Amino acid sequence: MAKTLDRTLEEDRAPPAKGAARFSRLHAGRWGLRGVAIVYLGLLVVLPLTAVIVKGYGQGLVSLRHALAAPGAVAAIRLTLFTSAIAAIVNGVLGTLIAYVLVRFRFPGRSTLATVVDMPFAIPTLVTGVMLVALYGPNTPVGGFLARHGIDVVFAVPGIVLALLVVTLPLVIRTVEPVLLELDPAEEEAARVLGAGGWTAFRRVVLPALRPAIAAGALLTFARALGEFGAIVIVSGNITGKTLTAPYFIFQLTGNFRFEEAAAVSAILFGLSFVLVLVTERLVKNREARVSP
Amino acid sequence: MALIAALLAAAACSKSTANSGGSGGPCTPSDPAVITFAAYSTPREVYGKIIPAFQAKWKEDHNGQNVIFQESYGGSTSQAQNVIKGFPADVVALSLAPDVDVIADAGLITHDWTQVADGGMVSASVVVFDVRPGNPKQLVDWGDLTQSGLDILTPDPAASGGARWNIVATYGAAERGKVSGIAASDDAGAGQLLTGIFANVRVLDKSARDSIKNFESGNGDVAITYENEVFTAQKAGLEDEMVIPPSTVLIENPVAVVDKNAADHCVTDVANGFVDFLHSQDAKDLYAKTGFLRPTDPAQAQQGDGDKFAAIQDLFTVEDLGGWDQIDTKVFGDPDGIFTKAFKEATG
Repeated sequence: MAKTLDRTLEEDRAPPAKGAARFSRLHAGRWGLRGVAIVYLGLLVVLPLTAVIVKGYGQGLVSLRHALAAPGAVAAIRLTLFTSAIAAIVNGVLGTLIAYVLVRFRFPGRSTLATVVDMPFAIPTLVTGVMLVALYGPNTPVGGFLARHGIDVVFAVPGIVLALLVVTLPLVIRTVEPVLLELDPAEEEAARVLGAGGWTAFRRVVLPALRPAIAAGALLTFARALGEFGAIVIVSGNITGKTLTAPYFIFQLTGNFRFEEAAAVSAILFGLSFVLVLVTERLVKNREARVSP
Repeated sequence: MALIAALLAAAACSKSTANSGGSGGPCTPSDPAVITFAAYSTPREVYGKIIPAFQAKWKEDHNGQNVIFQESYGGSTSQAQNVIKGFPADVVALSLAPDVDVIADAGLITHDWTQVADGGMVSASVVVFDVRPGNPKQLVDWGDLTQSGLDILTPDPAASGGARWNIVATYGAAERGKVSGIAASDDAGAGQLLTGIFANVRVLDKSARDSIKNFESGNGDVAITYENEVFTAQKAGLEDEMVIPPSTVLIENPVAVVDKNAADHCVTDVANGFVDFLHSQDAKDLYAKTGFLRPTDPAQAQQGDGDKFAAIQDLFTVEDLGGWDQIDTKVFGDPDGIFTKAFKEATG
């Protein structure tokens, strides 16, 4: 799925080098389709992003400076970067493991597990937050037990990480899975026949092929986690300077009619996400080049 | 039960005394003392000024003891729910009394929080109309909001506890016979007024502040909101104009110490000190200057200050309408509450 999409993009982006000749060959209908695609993406993504940049940086860096001077601003951005990075690393490792289990093993309940993986995308993230508080809140049996042992989950940083792990769960799994499916299990078996243990075979044969996909999935996870709002509002308690995250900080700025400042901080977040998505695309492309030269 | 609570408190205290190197004895807070403060979103800027003022005063009066604040701002009702679910707030500042009552009902506030200065209220405002510059639709009274073709913004009472102020204002004005065409105590008339207004509601926003944000982006002819919100918007450079209806409700915002949490954290003294400070003249000046909030005393609030705060013809309080308990049943009760029925009729 991800691969076909990339190929389409690839084709769409083909340089107009052979310009005139190619143009004449093209059907008007195809241009119509491209027009729709471009206008749609423009309306949905490019225009709003431009508006935010213009709003936030129309007067240079003044808005950004004001925003960062607000109490808890820098801490909020730092916290968001930190928790998103943890989510990317943890789901990078465990997501790969789950993908491997789903692809390589046949066991009862496997298809149920495959469905469960997608659940976080089907559940509104706000609901995810409510579920986490219901399970890990300080007044619940589980949360109370943890609290007595000095581990605060909800209304503390671990709760934020947990929420991010849940809402981004499918990303690494669904990026790694198709690559694993393409990978010939015979290679892994050959390694084992030649005497490699299970772990060695995985590390030397499977992992190198998966690495770009894992990195791509982890970067997507990071980018997605940067903007998470719904689940975090519920679990974090929003303590300024401690558990207040960047998206909620932006929300608070708009609440105080500080729209320019909100736009300035937003632009930083999506600029970061944009760079990460670019890197991800590059990684996926490299992988395709290697898998199917 | 109380014994267990006392034991827990003692255990928690001995832990924090041990941390601060003390030797048993009475509960002493850690140094610096940490107060966790949960408030509704609007007064964030006010508390940004009040808290440092309190910290300085406390330090001066208590041999240099420092107090650190952990501040959390969010919707009033969700903050109350968070405290019930275990958010360790020592002090709460909320938008309306019923939000404090639910915390008390959960057993976390054990004293009668209304038996303090100003009945537990620290700030006040009034329900007003936020209109386009020049008031092109000539909206001056509640009855004007029922004209056909008008677009009204008001928060959703199902999502925002604070939204109920707008409904209480409408209902109260009608019940008091201050809306032309509706006799005093005419419940049916009050219901029709609410139906007429809510039939014109175009967007039910998440909160009063969202209504103004939405209004600012060009939606609607009028947003029913609070006076302090309009002042805040005007200060931010928005060209909104405010209309105070002849009869409206005094919005009273409560503050309370969450005893159980404060005791657990050994900060009861500091928490009480903070709440006392919120009732001081210094704090009142800040509420008025930074937060555009009126004094909590109804007579004073009605009079205004002859400058920024205009005098109001007929200003009533929730108590004048029989208190929240009665309003909850009579107006918001399901399925027979006056608003509940009016809303169904307007949207059905």
